[in-house]
Amino acid sequence: MEKFRANLMLCAGTGCVASGTMKVKDALQEELKKKGLADEIKIVLTGCNGYCAEGPVMSVYPDEVFYQKLTVEEIPKLVEEHFLKGRPYEKLMFREPEKKTAIPLMKEIPFFKHQVLRVLRNKGLIDPEKIEEYISRDGYQAAARALTAMTPEEIIKTVKDSGVRGRGGAGFPTGLKWEFASKVKSDVKYMLCNGDEGDPGAFMDRSVMEADPHSVIEGMIIGAKAIGAHNGYIYVRAEYPLAVKRLQMAIDQATEMGLLGKNILDTGFDFELGIYLGAGAFVCGEETALMRSIEGKRGMPRPRPPFPAVKGLWDKPSVLNNVETLAQIAPIILNGSDWYRSLGTEKSAGTKVFALTGAVNNVGLVEVPMGIPLRRIIYDIGGGIRKGRTFKAVQLGGPSGGCIPEHLLDTPVTYEDIVATGAIVGSGGMVVMDDNTCMVGTARFFLEFTADESCGKCTPCRVGTKILLDMLTDITEGNGKEGDIETLQDLAKDILTTSLCGLGQTAPNPVLTTIKYFRDEYESHIHDKWCKAGVCRNLTTFVIDEELCKGCGACLRACPSKAIIGEKKQPHKIIQEVCVHCRTCYEACKFKSIKIMPAGYDAGSPEKAEEVKTGAPEGGTAKGEA
Amino acid sequence: MVELTINDKAISVEEGTTILKAAQQNGIHIPNMCYDKRLRPYGGCRLCVVEVEKQPRLFASCSTPVAPGMVVKTETPKLRKARQTVLELLLIHHPLDCPICDKAGECDLQDIAYEYGKPEGRFVRHRKAAPPDVRGPLVELTANRCILCGKCVRICAEHQSRGALGFIGRGFPTVVQPAFGEILECDYCGQCIDICPTGALLSKPFKFQARAWFLEEKETVCSFCGCGCTLTLGLREGKILRSRGKEDNGRSEGNLCGRGRFGFDYIYSENRLKTPMIRKEGVLVPASWDEALSYISDRLKFITNSYGSSSVGAIGSHRCTNEDNYMLKKFMAGVVGSGNLDSAAAFGYTKVQSALGKAFGLETHPIDLKAPLGKEAILVVESDISVTHPVFGLNILQAKREGSRLIVADSKETKLTRHSTAYLKMKRGTSVAFLNGLMKAIMDKGLYDRETISGVEGFAEFEKTVADYTPEKVSEITGIPGDEIVAAAEALAKAKSRMISLTVNHTENTKGSDTVLAAANLVILLGEEAEALQIPADYANTFGAYEMGIRPEGGKDLFDMLYQPGSLHALYIMGEDPVSAFPYNSKIIHTLKALELLIVQDIAMTETAKYAHVLLPASSWAEKDGTFVNAEGVAQKLNKVVETTGQSMPDWQIIRNLSLVMGSDISIRNIGDVSEEIAAMVKAEGQPEGKRAFQPVAHSEGEEPDAEYPLSLVTRDVLQHSGTMSTRSKALDLVVSEAFLEVGEDDAKKFGISDSSHVKVTSKRGTVYLKAKVSDEIPSGTVFTSSHFPHGRVNALTFPSENGTPVTTAVKIEAVQG
Repeated sequence: MEKFRANLMLCAGTGCVASGTMKVKDALQEELKKKGLADEIKIVLTGCNGYCAEGPVMSVYPDEVFYQKLTVEEIPKLVEEHFLKGRPYEKLMFREPEKKTAIPLMKEIPFFKHQVLRVLRNKGLIDPEKIEEYISRDGYQAAARALTAMTPEEIIKTVKDSGVRGRGGAGFPTGLKWEFASKVKSDVKYMLCNGDEGDPGAFMDRSVMEADPHSVIEGMIIGAKAIGAHNGYIYVRAEYPLAVKRLQMAIDQATEMGLLGKNILDTGFDFELGIYLGAGAFVCGEETALMRSIEGKRGMPRPRPPFPAVKGLWDKPSVLNNVETLAQIAPIILNGSDWYRSLGTEKSAGTKVFALTGAVNNVGLVEVPMGIPLRRIIYDIGGGIRKGRTFKAVQLGGPSGGCIPEHLLDTPVTYEDIVATGAIVGSGGMVVMDDNTCMVGTARFFLEFTADESCGKCTPCRVGTKILLDMLTDITEGNGKEGDIETLQDLAKDILTTSLCGLGQTAPNPVLTTIKYFRDEYESHIHDKWCKAGVCRNLTTFVIDEELCKGCGACLRACPSKAIIGEKKQPHKIIQEVCVHCRTCYEACKFKSIKIMPAGYDAGSPEKAEEVKTGAPEGGTAKGEA
Repeated sequence: MVELTINDKAISVEEGTTILKAAQQNGIHIPNMCYDKRLRPYGGCRLCVVEVEKQPRLFASCSTPVAPGMVVKTETPKLRKARQTVLELLLIHHPLDCPICDKAGECDLQDIAYEYGKPEGRFVRHRKAAPPDVRGPLVELTANRCILCGKCVRICAEHQSRGALGFIGRGFPTVVQPAFGEILECDYCGQCIDICPTGALLSKPFKFQARAWFLEEKETVCSFCGCGCTLTLGLREGKILRSRGKEDNGRSEGNLCGRGRFGFDYIYSENRLKTPMIRKEGVLVPASWDEALSYISDRLKFITNSYGSSSVGAIGSHRCTNEDNYMLKKFMAGVVGSGNLDSAAAFGYTKVQSALGKAFGLETHPIDLKAPLGKEAILVVESDISVTHPVFGLNILQAKREGSRLIVADSKETKLTRHSTAYLKMKRGTSVAFLNGLMKAIMDKGLYDRETISGVEGFAEFEKTVADYTPEKVSEITGIPGDEIVAAAEALAKAKSRMISLTVNHTENTKGSDTVLAAANLVILLGEEAEALQIPADYANTFGAYEMGIRPEGGKDLFDMLYQPGSLHALYIMGEDPVSAFPYNSKIIHTLKALELLIVQDIAMTETAKYAHVLLPASSWAEKDGTFVNAEGVAQKLNKVVETTGQSMPDWQIIRNLSLVMGSDISIRNIGDVSEEIAAMVKAEGQPEGKRAFQPVAHSEGEEPDAEYPLSLVTRDVLQHSGTMSTRSKALDLVVSEAFLEVGEDDAKKFGISDSSHVKVTSKRGTVYLKAKVSDEIPSGTVFTSSHFPHGRVNALTFPSENGTPVTTAVKIEAVQG
């Protein structure tokens, strides 16, 4: 094997590629060649590093120096400084927002410092397209042990003892699932992997499949042995072409090396694995619907029982595990259940990967021990709220989840504690929202998603979500009426209790949690026709507090509809007839002089001017005018 | 058994029973909209939710199996609230056009809304208002009213194995439609109409005919095939407006095919006979009953006096009741004194009975429409059972779904071949060779009890005959690969239970008594009971007519009477139309023209009636009481549901009157007298002790194609028709109204025939013109057609067989220019 002085682990995850990794790679190659370093320094394209917000990112080994926001223009300088002169190039290093000092080492960057990598153990360290690199990091050792030295019972016991729970969202104990399927007698069984990640904003599974496809395959081999399956499918959504490509490559390589297919490692155990492309229906992430989809039928959930462990794919006993769940299996087998339990809590052991997005400084993929408080994820890893704004809520669990408010931020991330708030841990989507977010609009956003993605089979989900959506739309458009909140809650609860599958049973959660924690917003939407976040256009009047306005002209320049007038250094004014309520001026003003008032608010009268200062109209005044 | 409690009532049900079924079995009602016992649990409507103690969630009772100790509540305030909400959701967008909906009055949605609904909903949204889809025949789809319970989609796919309807779209905009939103093209069984809980699927012929509450429902037995389904007829002002099946009702347990559901309107055909008619100066003119019966009496007496009673013959009918046929037999024996009596069964069912009599020594053969259920292996030989006997076909398909191995040998794709475990593609008319091949393979592999079986009479000769049928030779004759024959033989022989089925109908020309014998040999070889062979009688009362003695006992049979001109001087035809329905019609016409007296007694002006000297108007099946015996031998009562048409009378009554006119007191006053005599007769007959014997048969071709007539014509039934009678149904004619010639793509090219063009078809016996249907499902060298349509005159080409061999007909086809 060739030896290199340094390895440049350049992230080629979907996010970084979109930010320009490939151009950076070409420039790097060119530059290294030019400087005669091509034989000394190797560029490795890795899977997703997780720090997507700062992409393209690269870490240099063995120095462990981390570079971010690479651009083609900076490459010659970087190569010269770091690789010729041996001086890490500070300009491309991470800087803490306040302190401005550069942090060269990846492990010291707050985003990485608080993470514990188990699922993502190989992220940024290996080339996912080379099985040798996976093997060099203990890859397939666990599968080999499971196949040669362990009985199915021993495997199941280890997995059960580890306490690992399904990471797809429901958190069902994985070992127990395997045990059920292993006890059903059948000549044909299926081991399946759910890579149909569908939550808006979630990309944990995609990253694992792209960065470390073999970890999923290895988990499936171990599971297959445990339940006695000789056939398997990985169900991936077709919108993940890179994941599909890497998985197929990994399957081919593993088959080539005798790690898949007939008589694996001469143990006599067969396991054939294929990929099935999903057509992008959210409901196909539901296990019974996913199985129907593989059968080539319309993806609709089926009542349980019979459970898939008894009658699953083609009515044969089947186990379906999520990508992230499977990626943890190999280390559990290698290191034992106690090792796994060393992190997390009694009932929620191990680590969980989150796709941290929204109004935080550090957007990206993070893996944390379970039990960690939400606050630490958002502030220590996420680096707090962007642009100095204030935190409003964090949305967990995607369309099935809920919004957790500020006062519950110390809730530890465990299945039980999160459920107690009304949200769910879910598959790992974590969307942080700041004070610019309208919570009614947020609920509406998720309901629009679920109403669209409902398969249409059961009445409460098919019609109920549509009615919830219609009502939320009415409220955000200013057509809410007395009693709507109670009706929403009542209908939401009936949908929860009567729906057929997980989609309908959780779809009302965003409505229920936003009402629970932000009821005042609903009330001000309905009673005062006032969206205080300034998001719902029909429910706002933008006015300028003339006392605060410095007449800088920022709002005037930003306004797309030329609705602001005023002389320089004189207080400006918004012409209400022209204003389109786009909120651009509000974002542009540095002096917080733009106020969001209820619909129909008349800024002309002196009392009203007083209100603008205090920021609250008397209850009901605006309603009358609306 | 599982013990549980429902609504404080301790009950015990079989393991695996759902909560809903357990409740129903114990008289506890749980509302539901998407459940049907014929279908897999769906759990879609969510109305059947129940509370289970210690469980926070509600459970859909239709799909939740009972568990020991379960405590279930089906009526609680919480459930009432949940159901109310579900119902409210269903009604938000429902058009509420009940005033113009045919379903109103018997609509599940209305009923459940009445039970659970609230006077006003909380949500006001647009009501769906898409126009109904009226493009297809018979079935109208109004998506507005659909609540997406999916019953229609599932009964079509799961139960009928057709899959003509599906869901299109997702979530709220989901609709039920035929594939790609095209025109509904299906079996037109109408099961989806019966199962629809709202007015989304409706019968087009019934549309706007009557409000449900004005309909009077009466039951009778279907008049078409041998399944003998019970029809629930809806009448208003004495007219039948619709026909439907009712759950668990009758032999078919509520299932109906399109013929039973839509075909009843043949009784309202415009050419129904309303008065007797006598031919005067070459023209049939109306006459009074007195005149007509006196005329017949005089003529018959003259003929018997002149030529002897053996110059008079009669033809009975599978369309007529036991009572009618019994009276005809009694009239011929007692009044005329002739044994010249036969029916269409001579072409089919009689052959079956006589063959089985030889093989098993039984008088009548045990048939059970449920025979397929639970059998490990089912073999269907060259028979489109889903067409000829739709309900029997459903049971075969159900058996397959439940795990039976279904082996179908046929020359054309059918519903059964499409759903088979193994489809053995065979050349038409080679069933005997195929069956012999199976037996040879079974014997070669020693998969039978030689010790016992070799003791059966005729074994030695049988073994010798079958010895020739090596897989290679059979493969050459049938076209089925040798290994497939051997595999089928093994599957059949090794199965723990099995059924072999075929039909020998008078409208089919690829099988005969030889086929029955070969199948019987297979059953004997496998050491099976006679029940393992299921050859159901074709029509509504084929079995009954046979039982009533409509067969030549010492007299002339059908072949003598109809195909030997001059053998009779007078012929009495009751309920049969030989000119349209029997093969080689030019010969029949020749015979009829030579008669001195032709009496035709029928419900309508048939082709045969046009040659009659006297026409007697008979009442149709719906206009009289009586008895039909279905293929299983089950006698079922026929009820008079409508008044007779014109001056028509039930057949038995006409014959009674004729007897009286002829001066014979045949001691029959009313139908009760007939029934009593029949009961006494049936009682006297017992099933003889069965003695089995091998009846070796060799393969023989029908009419072999040659240079002049290069193709083989096969006649088969069309799903929407039954004999010639159904062609008078306007509803059924909307689906298929003419005979068409199915031609394979190769032959179409060879003979320059394009789809839907007219083709001249010629055999040694005649020429007809048919519309071509070019299909990739048709093997080359063979063309298919049906013989239902009088105006199609397919029977001008075909010929009958007395000896039991197949009668495929050699034909040539030519494109019609212009």
